[in-house]
Amino acid sequence: MRLAVLAPAALAALAAAPSSVFAVDYLSADQAAALMFPDADRFELREWNLDASQMQALQSQGVRARSAHWTARAALRGTNVLGVVVVDEVIGKFELITYAVGITNDGAVKQIEVLAYRESHGHEIRLPAWRRQFVGKTAAAPLRVGEDIANISGATLSCSHVTEGVRRIVAVVDLARKAGALPS
Amino acid sequence: MNARHSTLAHPTRLALAAALALGSSTAFAQSATEAELARRLDQLAAELAAVKAQLAVLQQQRNNAPPAAVPAPAAAAIAPAPASASAPTAAPAPEAVPPATVLSSYGEINYNHPTGSAKDSQADMRRFVLGFQHRFDAKTKVVTELEVEHGVASADDPGEVEVEQAYIERQLTPAWAVRGGLFLIPLGLLNEYHEPTSFYGVERNFVETAIIPSTWREGGVQFVGNLDNGLTLQAGLSTGFDLTKWDAASTEGSESPLGSIHQELALAKARDLAVFGALNWRGIPGLQLGGGLFTGNATHGQAVTTGRVTLWDLHARWTPGRWDLAALYTRGTISNTAALNTPLVGNPTLIPKSFDGAYVQAAYKLWTYEDYALSPFLRWEQFNTAKSFADLGPGITPAAARSERVVTLGANFQVTQGVVIKGDVQRFRENKDANRVNLGLGWSF
Repeated sequence: MRLAVLAPAALAALAAAPSSVFAVDYLSADQAAALMFPDADRFELREWNLDASQMQALQSQGVRARSAHWTARAALRGTNVLGVVVVDEVIGKFELITYAVGITNDGAVKQIEVLAYRESHGHEIRLPAWRRQFVGKTAAAPLRVGEDIANISGATLSCSHVTEGVRRIVAVVDLARKAGALPS
Repeated sequence: MNARHSTLAHPTRLALAAALALGSSTAFAQSATEAELARRLDQLAAELAAVKAQLAVLQQQRNNAPPAAVPAPAAAAIAPAPASASAPTAAPAPEAVPPATVLSSYGEINYNHPTGSAKDSQADMRRFVLGFQHRFDAKTKVVTELEVEHGVASADDPGEVEVEQAYIERQLTPAWAVRGGLFLIPLGLLNEYHEPTSFYGVERNFVETAIIPSTWREGGVQFVGNLDNGLTLQAGLSTGFDLTKWDAASTEGSESPLGSIHQELALAKARDLAVFGALNWRGIPGLQLGGGLFTGNATHGQAVTTGRVTLWDLHARWTPGRWDLAALYTRGTISNTAALNTPLVGNPTLIPKSFDGAYVQAAYKLWTYEDYALSPFLRWEQFNTAKSFADLGPGITPAAARSERVVTLGANFQVTQGVVIKGDVQRFRENKDANRVNLGLGWSF
């Protein structure tokens, strides 16, 4: 989609967490997780890798897996798992959008939060009305702009890429649960 | 990719086995027993895991960036990730940090075939644009676009080279930013979103070409506010038009009154500045309601009187499901045109007092497969570049032009995100010689 001129510099920083230094940061990942699961008394990091067959399963669902390695925060209250929160980044038009997806135990989206938005246009994806469209969607939903998610005029790429990212996360979490990599 | 990341144990072993078989010692591979080989592989795998872990720690220290996705302030509440052979680093799923400099481009190659006059058919490298965005720091960036129109620009060729955008944007608060430099004026639906993948039809619509010039840019300062209630506010002070360069002998002014007197920050006369503002509301997903106003004197103390150019628009766009519906009305006025036109009497194109245009458009995403998408559309537009003239006296005052009406029926075919093939048919009510078939190829990234 675009050419990163300073790719070597970006690669050098690959091991770091997503940058929180650019433009407008609205929430930290922990604030977003606490917002999504206010009843949780703690969050545990869970990491897992998709195997080749899982990657193929995603592909067959029309989901670009992008990465085999995934991290989620499991929201816990006592020994009860309330759900998971996945923090991700996608490219809007020029820049990265950092967002978090909260998913309940039945695989449905509980909440979307935009942690950082850096583009000059399309800040409206932060609006609750746009994010609410995702609530309750599962891996069975189309999760596509122009289908079950309405576009924002002037921010088509941001909308499409965040929607694609949510579709990927919902599918990956679904697979991970079925494989026992995530609690359910 | 899959083999590299899918599992830890197996690919690692496979890679090591391959490396050993190819790179280390053939004699070793031949002499070692299978059990010995397996033991050594496990040993190497363990050492590799240790090196990876050390590397991750070193990189973490070197980058020393405040992490957003790993627990920092609430770390005490979060248990460490369970020890797992499949987690060699602490890297989370997201991508790398954003690059500071990003190249962008868009382009249009168009073919126009007048249905009543095939000899006038033309193919054109309409626009080829290269741009970049560079971030100086967390809050400051420069955005640029450099355009070549019509393929070749020289003294003997029809092309032009233009700087389309070149501005610095500084984020002041989470909601407000300021831009300074050469930027697009926020009027209408098209001007700020003029890439071929953003509009329906091979050619830009007439209303947002003849009445609102596009791509219309001015030099100045602009404030942009993105409010939590869905409102986007834009307002600023900029250069404006130059009425002293109105060419009454040519027809350019009757094709686009403001397009013929815009300055594009090319040694722009700047005694008189303009103010502008735009308000857009996107509080309901899929809906955009907005309007804009631009007004400023345009004679710069160099004409017999002052002439103020004012242009405003109201627009709406609604995208429920697969539909994409849009409507726009715009109207422009120029003051004191009687005095400005007096020395021009006798020429074919005098300065109009008012001009306006409107369109409605409906598109429907009819078919999709993977990234392919076919969207037929229908657009009806009406525009008048000389809706009225100031009174110069009987027999001298030019008659108002007749409003042109154009119906465009066609389709955009998205090949993948950022690449579009377009085709349409256009029918004109007044100038029937302009009826034509258009084909186009465009990209944007």
